[in-house]
Amino acid sequence: MATTTASLTIDSSDLVGDALSLSTSNTLYKAGTTTGLEQTTGMASLYLTATTQIDLFPVLPASPAGAGKQSWVYICNKATDETHYVRITIADSVIGDLYGGDFMWMPWSQQAQHADIELAPSAAAAAAGVFVEFTCIHEGITYPTEADS
Amino acid sequence: MATTTATVTISSTDLLTDELSLSTSATLTGAGNSTGLTGTSGLGRKTTATVAPYTLFHADDYSTDRAHKLYIKNTSTNAAYYYDIGIGVIGNNNTLGRVYAGDWALIPWSASGGTKEVFTITLSGTWATADTLAFDGVTISPTNTAHADTAAVIRATYYPNWVVTGSGSNAIFTARRARADQEIDTSEWTLVDAGGSDAAIAVATTTEGLADPKNIIITPGGSSTNSVTLEYMLLSDD
Repeated sequence: MATTTASLTIDSSDLVGDALSLSTSNTLYKAGTTTGLEQTTGMASLYLTATTQIDLFPVLPASPAGAGKQSWVYICNKATDETHYVRITIADSVIGDLYGGDFMWMPWSQQAQHADIELAPSAAAAAAGVFVEFTCIHEGITYPTEADS
Repeated sequence: MATTTATVTISSTDLLTDELSLSTSATLTGAGNSTGLTGTSGLGRKTTATVAPYTLFHADDYSTDRAHKLYIKNTSTNAAYYYDIGIGVIGNNNTLGRVYAGDWALIPWSASGGTKEVFTITLSGTWATADTLAFDGVTISPTNTAHADTAAVIRATYYPNWVVTGSGSNAIFTARRARADQEIDTSEWTLVDAGGSDAAIAVATTTEGLADPKNIIITPGGSSTNSVTLEYMLLSDD
């Protein structure tokens, strides 16, 4: 098994009266176990120039390989303009917006046909062009079957 | 403004043949600007010993489509205990994912508000200073017989579950939170016509509330009896 660690720090000396210095770390395990996750989509980088909403990962089928298993998703908006955001949705329900430089790290429950993670650049981000980086570390993802013929 | 920095590091020496070492830092700023976030719920903890879902944050309490960030951590040490993170309302939400023991997440949150109930109350008849009108646990009394002045008193009063606007002899009530179970009519009001002078009100609904806000819903799992503690913090853009 592999050992993958995700760490987070949140620091601020002036958000509240006391200094904020949060630090946490976890090892990425398969669902309900202490066995490390072994699969990843790899880090992807996309340059988007349209506001079209896209699926970041293969569209979930009726019986996803990752159903009932653990997946982790990292997404980063690489724009340097703070007004350029990308909207993240799941099953067409808006999670939130990542502005230039923002990132997110979230678990992902792959549910049959209804939990695709989607991304759409804002009009300004699309007009300027925006790089987005993302990856998924997981227990299983169903890729589309070959359909050349 | 405050300066708050979040840094994520994802690393592995054996997930791939090549070493994985990803590190990203972001200064948490407001939506579309470079002003640091100034709002926070503070770092909190909630312990549960049932699998009943609960609302961690209500979308209607925050501005929609801002740069809110939500930090969540499952502090359990039992690998089987988890929390499902959902967006919506209890009984109707989209599950984002599951945090098991020790897992954490940092998620942007749109805090999309729901459809709030709106109704208008209009005064009629003859009002006296001895009359009283009660609603939402609050009782008001007219200062004189003028409808407009009594309506002004109604509008100036704080109600736990409603925000009041309007003008003249009416008052427009808007629910603070979107719910589907608020159907307000005159039966929810208590009018004591102490003056015996035919004081009356009319209530007209203009918007039916819906249970459709994008709240943060937490559903514990893995154990229905043992205590599990969720740590959380909202960094809000309000």
